[in-house]
Amino acid sequence: MWNSLLGIFHPAASTSALIWRLILAVAFSIALLVLLHRFLGPRGRRWLIAFVTFAGGLYLGLEYFLPVRGSVLWPTGMPNPNPDRAANILTPGIEPIGIMLSVVGAFTVGLGIYSLCQVHGRNVAQRRPGWHNSGAFFLAMSAMLVFGLWAHYLPDQDAPGGRLPWQESTYELLFGGIFMPLQAATFSLLAFYIASAAYRAFRIHTAEAALMMAAAFIVMLAQVPVGQWLTHGLPTTGPLAFFRLETLGDWIMSWLNTPAQRGIVFGVAVGGLAMSLRIWLSLERGTFFSEQG
Amino acid sequence: MAGSHATFWQRIQQIPRYYIYLLLAAVVTWQILFPIALPILPSRVTQGVYDAIAAVPDDQLIIISTDWDASTQAETGPQTEAIIHACFQNGKRFAVMNLQPPMGVKLANDIAQRVAAEYGAEYGVDWCNWGYKYGFDNVLIALAKNIPKTIGDDFHGNPVTDLPMMEGVENIESVGLVIEITGLANVTELWIGLIQGVYGTPLAGAYTAVMVPSYYPFLDSGQLRGVLNGAKGAAEMEVLVKRPDRASAIMPVQSWAHMLIIALIIIGNLGYIFGRRRTTERPS
Amino acid sequence: MGGLEHANWFMSALFGSMCLIIVVSVLLAQRGREMFIRRIPGLNAIEEAVGRATEMGRPVFFSTGLHGITIVTLQALAILSYIVKLAAVHATRIVVATASATLYPVLEESVREAYTAADHPEAFRSEDVRFVTEEQFAYAMGCVGIMAREQTATNFFFGAFFAESLILAENGRALGALQVAGCPDPVQIPFFIATCDYVVIGDEYYAASAYLTREPTLTGSLIGQDIAKAILIALVIVGVVVASAVGGADSATNNFLLNLLASGAQ
Repeated sequence: MWNSLLGIFHPAASTSALIWRLILAVAFSIALLVLLHRFLGPRGRRWLIAFVTFAGGLYLGLEYFLPVRGSVLWPTGMPNPNPDRAANILTPGIEPIGIMLSVVGAFTVGLGIYSLCQVHGRNVAQRRPGWHNSGAFFLAMSAMLVFGLWAHYLPDQDAPGGRLPWQESTYELLFGGIFMPLQAATFSLLAFYIASAAYRAFRIHTAEAALMMAAAFIVMLAQVPVGQWLTHGLPTTGPLAFFRLETLGDWIMSWLNTPAQRGIVFGVAVGGLAMSLRIWLSLERGTFFSEQG
Repeated sequence: MAGSHATFWQRIQQIPRYYIYLLLAAVVTWQILFPIALPILPSRVTQGVYDAIAAVPDDQLIIISTDWDASTQAETGPQTEAIIHACFQNGKRFAVMNLQPPMGVKLANDIAQRVAAEYGAEYGVDWCNWGYKYGFDNVLIALAKNIPKTIGDDFHGNPVTDLPMMEGVENIESVGLVIEITGLANVTELWIGLIQGVYGTPLAGAYTAVMVPSYYPFLDSGQLRGVLNGAKGAAEMEVLVKRPDRASAIMPVQSWAHMLIIALIIIGNLGYIFGRRRTTERPS
Repeated sequence: MGGLEHANWFMSALFGSMCLIIVVSVLLAQRGREMFIRRIPGLNAIEEAVGRATEMGRPVFFSTGLHGITIVTLQALAILSYIVKLAAVHATRIVVATASATLYPVLEESVREAYTAADHPEAFRSEDVRFVTEEQFAYAMGCVGIMAREQTATNFFFGAFFAESLILAENGRALGALQVAGCPDPVQIPFFIATCDYVVIGDEYYAASAYLTREPTLTGSLIGQDIAKAILIALVIVGVVVASAVGGADSATNNFLLNLLASGAQ
């Protein structure tokens, strides 16, 4: 029963079976949405959200914490359908859930594109200031979409070997010639921003700030050959070797940075756990949705 | 008189950012055109990566997970290249793969092909490319148990089982080292949680410089054998493999850019300290 | 066998006890027990920041960063919800930008709900909740474009940020906005500190909803979270003492207690 239920998430045996599944899935989804919309008020909707959140969290939590066996499903003793993964009775559902989430995620891309078109379409239609930027958005999106799909699905079969068909080379130009350099150039801007931000923000207001600055200078110098050159006269062994900038930099990173990082990560992890619990038990409801209900 | 001095100290605390950008651009251009090259000393953490590669037994392969894209390629590109040199020089077989972003696998493939040609290495025998695999943790969980089944086809669309170097490769026991090269946060944590921590497979990393401080706890605990720290780590690896290249060429630029930033911070603080002193000395 | 795939018994016990502590603290707080939370300047500044935008008659900008629906962004949503309610009361427009198509519908719905909760449902404009792009740097530049065009008086950056944090905050600062940021990732905090007026650091980020609303349930969870953290600190101290006593963690593979503690990392 369980396995046949999970079977609907596996590839269909034939094209007709796939079409039937698609029709049934769409009909079921529409019927469910209509029913929910028709019979659930705002209060009912909140209860439904709380229930789905709790059930989802419970499933994934139990799957993680229940004991596992490699060859059989714990605790039923049934054969494990995927012996490559240690499993309990809930494990076989993990992959279908992952697929379902991916499908839902794929639908939201459509919503995202709708949002973009809504904002930029209005800019163009009403000729708002900077509307040509919105026009550039439509141009860029259509070009990537058309040439990307074209190059993927309709490659030029007759193109001589070694030469890219023109639609693919256009896509290469858009991707490798425009998109990638833009990405690299934007990342490079960080060098300029960090220079101006460091100059502006680093002021010795207190003794602690002075210590912090000393540590920053050592680490910055240890990170480049000119820093290593500054103390190259010091011996590489013995007590004075500690004062070579690269050794001092490594010491700061290992002995001062590491405990600080661990401390923050501990705090953040426990904070994340508490937040997860609040979401799972719908205790955070008041902040996301109105307090009633 | 005192007023004009105060103005000067205040002024050097507020250099317009455009001048700072121009200064930085000037220093970078100067060092690209007329570099002042200084010796590069390999650090403990870089040596750790090299030693981990050298220590891989001949019957095991290395996984190089290239999870980077164009934005970070100034750091991760030379890192990948130097690591591949180290693999070939030590006679280690390796497989390139990619979890995210998909662009990384093509960029890394171009590098691997170029370096392989230098050593006369053959695809499928000395190295291969497993391509982009979607699914992060699910990929790693499955990879540990069954590599051929999880990978399926290689980068070129051929079954990996057809590659001679994949003969006898079954699961994570056939892997002697994983090297994660990335500009993304949290990918290494997956390798640690699902592979290194569970099966004890050695792991090393190569990251953008800004990410490295957060990986020192894993170095300290021995979960990472070594780390390449940004372009500097790549340059150090280039020294170890005796192939000074792009990262080594960046080092003079990075050296003097760091010096400029330090100088700017000192200037700003001189303005702050003396500007404050003048203000407090001035009669109210 | 343990790791991220499935828990071993030690992890289950540790996790279970921490959850239990948090739930018990919540119950105690709900019964009216007084709980103290220290002052967090970054969160105190939120009201001032929205007030500034109101006085200047300019909009507020809120970025949720790069992640989709994760715990980090859900916390960002809780903070956003509070800010939207404040902005709605002061009749100040708020523009929200996300880099996740998955998060986008949830974001739109919670902003709409927040306007409704503040009794100003008419103030909600769907075009003010925007999906920009899923590409990291294109998102950063898109947000900078929004800040520049809308001339935002206040920028909030709460969520999961990576290398784009400096691009966002440095440009926001150059445009003259008051900025408040919060991010649990220690790597990005220095960049925000250098460029923002107020920064919420580390686990202060997860204290935000409790701190802002002072709801007993949330405050109780905060106290529970601190007790759980104290347990972790105690375990670290025990580990350090035992490892030191037996001659270092490397030579202690046969020590039951150290193996037990190390199993949590597997």
